[in-house]
Amino acid sequence: MNAFSRGSAPLRKAAWIDYGRFLLLVGVAVWLLALGTRGLGYPWQWYRVPPFLFSADNGIWTAGPLLRGLAVTLQISLLSLVGSLLFGLTAALLRLSSSFSARALARGYLELIRNTPLLIQIFFVYFVLSPVLDIGAFASATLALSLFEGAYAAEILRAGIVSLHRGQWEAAHSLGLGTFDTYRHVILPQAVRRVLPPLAGQAISLVKDSALVSTIAIYDLTMQGQKIVAETFLAFEIWFTVAAIYLVMTFGLSFLVRGLEKRMNGAPLRGAGGFG
Amino acid sequence: MTAQARIIEATELSKTFPGGVVALDRFTLSVGRGEVVVVIGPSGSGKSTFLRCLNGLEEVDRGTVVIDGIPLDHHRKNRLLIRREVGMVFQSFNLFPHMTVRENIDLAQVRVRRKSRAEAAETTMGLLRKVDIQEKADRYPHELSGGQQQRVAIARALAMNPKVMLFDEATSALDPEMIGEVLEVMRTLAAEGMTMVVVTHEMGFAREAGDRIVFMEAGRIVEEGETERFFGSPRQERTKVFLRQIL
Repeated sequence: MNAFSRGSAPLRKAAWIDYGRFLLLVGVAVWLLALGTRGLGYPWQWYRVPPFLFSADNGIWTAGPLLRGLAVTLQISLLSLVGSLLFGLTAALLRLSSSFSARALARGYLELIRNTPLLIQIFFVYFVLSPVLDIGAFASATLALSLFEGAYAAEILRAGIVSLHRGQWEAAHSLGLGTFDTYRHVILPQAVRRVLPPLAGQAISLVKDSALVSTIAIYDLTMQGQKIVAETFLAFEIWFTVAAIYLVMTFGLSFLVRGLEKRMNGAPLRGAGGFG
Repeated sequence: MTAQARIIEATELSKTFPGGVVALDRFTLSVGRGEVVVVIGPSGSGKSTFLRCLNGLEEVDRGTVVIDGIPLDHHRKNRLLIRREVGMVFQSFNLFPHMTVRENIDLAQVRVRRKSRAEAAETTMGLLRKVDIQEKADRYPHELSGGQQQRVAIARALAMNPKVMLFDEATSALDPEMIGEVLEVMRTLAAEGMTMVVVTHEMGFAREAGDRIVFMEAGRIVEEGETERFFGSPRQERTKVFLRQIL
């Protein structure tokens, strides 16, 4: 936009050429897609999709299986997000602690989780841990996702914490603040703000990874999609719809985080720790 | 000087950094109540390390530090007690950038001194008036000039109502035109009877506000003495050379 409102004539011209290129790119993509679908010879039946989303009976709207699946996905994602932040924060603080056993514990957790597939972890929690802990499929899924994403969140948070200027610790300590107060009031607010973008990326990964819980018979968005496809053979329409719903969710999350970043920008990142 | 009158007693402090640099070499110094001691010396002589050992920001290898009768040892409680009584001002200000000026000064009053918000706010406004920066109370540190930030940092340390103030090259990071305003605040504090240990290169301030000058090099005291005597008739050859270089 700025390129149009401001700048000299040659700059404006360059901007127009740039936008022209973009339109050309979109045009080619649409043309390729149209070509592909025609060549496929697939009988598109989009009109059969809406009932799976919602149905309206005498003015009463009821959610279809896809929207019910979405609700489950949202629930699991939200709970796991809280869980992963808890695990992540704990592991990050343990890794930074001066105690050897605390560091070893955190290290063991991180290596174990990050070096095995999420799918296996979900199976492990569901088939091995859940009978011991006496928890159901939903809780198992939430626990597995929390543990998995928590390991990544831990490294992100740790990076944010160690990136702060040493002077912040020293100032807090010289005022007599203990470790807890220093973390809570001085270190974490700054560290979290710095790593908000990668943390948001992790949250988006979590939403997408939650599709794997369909393997332990949880009727999330993916599982509902699978079931409908098995019954109706509307493979393309349903999977496109499911993908679009995931896209809306993750885009929504990105917007949310961007808003949060702006709101937190009362004091910008620069100048942290004395020298600009 | 009686033992009671000495508020800082640092005895035989030794510290070697991992790289092998000797920062303190059996360094002994005591400071009386209300005394202003100015520590000078070439860079790398251990001045800052000495200050940082006084409130436990740096660990000594050997030696003892006792502040107002409390030993700075491995007991966490003693360490926290000492840090409450010892305020510190840093070269790089180290204000908390995500908090306003007011919040910076309130924090430790509420969290450490357990004051109510209202009490803390009152103290804060009083201190901001003292360092003449009350109109910036709701600004963030990055909106302030260096001199203003350092004055806020002094107010933040004073908010704990400390018995001792340590100044670690408080004006070294400032633009020349801002040094005066910070030194002014420090002079006022000295005149009010605050016990101060000041590491600085500002010889004007040392002469004017210092009761005693300590010249150190390579972690040891080369010469110390009352301000007038020290500048008027330095005894050590090394001191004379150093003073000639910087004056």
